[in-house]
Amino acid sequence: MHIPPFSIFSAISEILVTAGVLYIIRRNWTGRTFSLAIFLAVALFEALVNVLYMAHRSAQAATGAEPIAPGLRLGFALHGMLSLLAYLVFVILGVLAYQDQRSGRFWFKDRPGVTWTFVVVWLISVISGEVIFAVRYLKP
Amino acid sequence: MRARPAGGSPRARRLRAPLLVSLWILFAIEALGGLVIFFARLAWGITPGATLHVACGVALTLVYLVYQIRHWLRVQPPRARLDYTLGFVAAGAMIAANGFGLMLGAIWWRAQAHGASAAPIHYPPRLSALHNISSLLVLTFVLAHLGAVLSRDRRAGPNQE
Repeated sequence: MHIPPFSIFSAISEILVTAGVLYIIRRNWTGRTFSLAIFLAVALFEALVNVLYMAHRSAQAATGAEPIAPGLRLGFALHGMLSLLAYLVFVILGVLAYQDQRSGRFWFKDRPGVTWTFVVVWLISVISGEVIFAVRYLKP
Repeated sequence: MRARPAGGSPRARRLRAPLLVSLWILFAIEALGGLVIFFARLAWGITPGATLHVACGVALTLVYLVYQIRHWLRVQPPRARLDYTLGFVAAGAMIAANGFGLMLGAIWWRAQAHGASAAPIHYPPRLSALHNISSLLVLTFVLAHLGAVLSRDRRAGPNQE
């Protein structure tokens, strides 16, 4: 099956974005500050490239023009919802952490429960996207 | 210690203003309805609550316009602060989400006016995607803007506006 080049780009860049997200959390967790520029770059890149692409592929899938198995459509929908939720939470937590670190407090370090929950949700969202990519394009 | 004016701090009073409360209610209906439509359309090819989503979308656009003009007149000029940056991104996303939403609403309206058939309405995928992504950005950056403002207030102390 033909793999759209942007799907490959998005599958790879999602891993790089995840590295950026984990870097931001790790810096904050270890009591070091992260830069606003890196946070905004990761947040805007994720929204304007990966989430936009996901939204476009979802909208194409929703037209029913491409034959997609019902189970995979449901998988798309669940992955889409989880991605949106994970992205929304990342930006809000990043803003709170950035505000707090300016007054010498470290939001992620101070709230390990929320931080770990967020990391797990984020990873499920990314891994589910990679699994959908593999099932759709790489499965014989 | 300064005495608090009756009815709480200016920020608390602004957060309870009828215009902002109306905006939050419409915003919540649109956000929840939009997520339901996004999920159901993708998973099962149906659009539950589309009529409510379009009607509240038009109302949200009008209420938002009034709110945004009043808000801007109060907070101008722009400042180099995180809450302002997030507010600008949120406002840009809100204008885009409402604009693309109204275009989708016009397609829905035309389909209704020409007699709705059993066949699903064809929405251009690119327009749907732009509406979805800008709506996500609205949700994200409105909440982040609010979070930044409230967290700034908390750091500044109880008498800060």
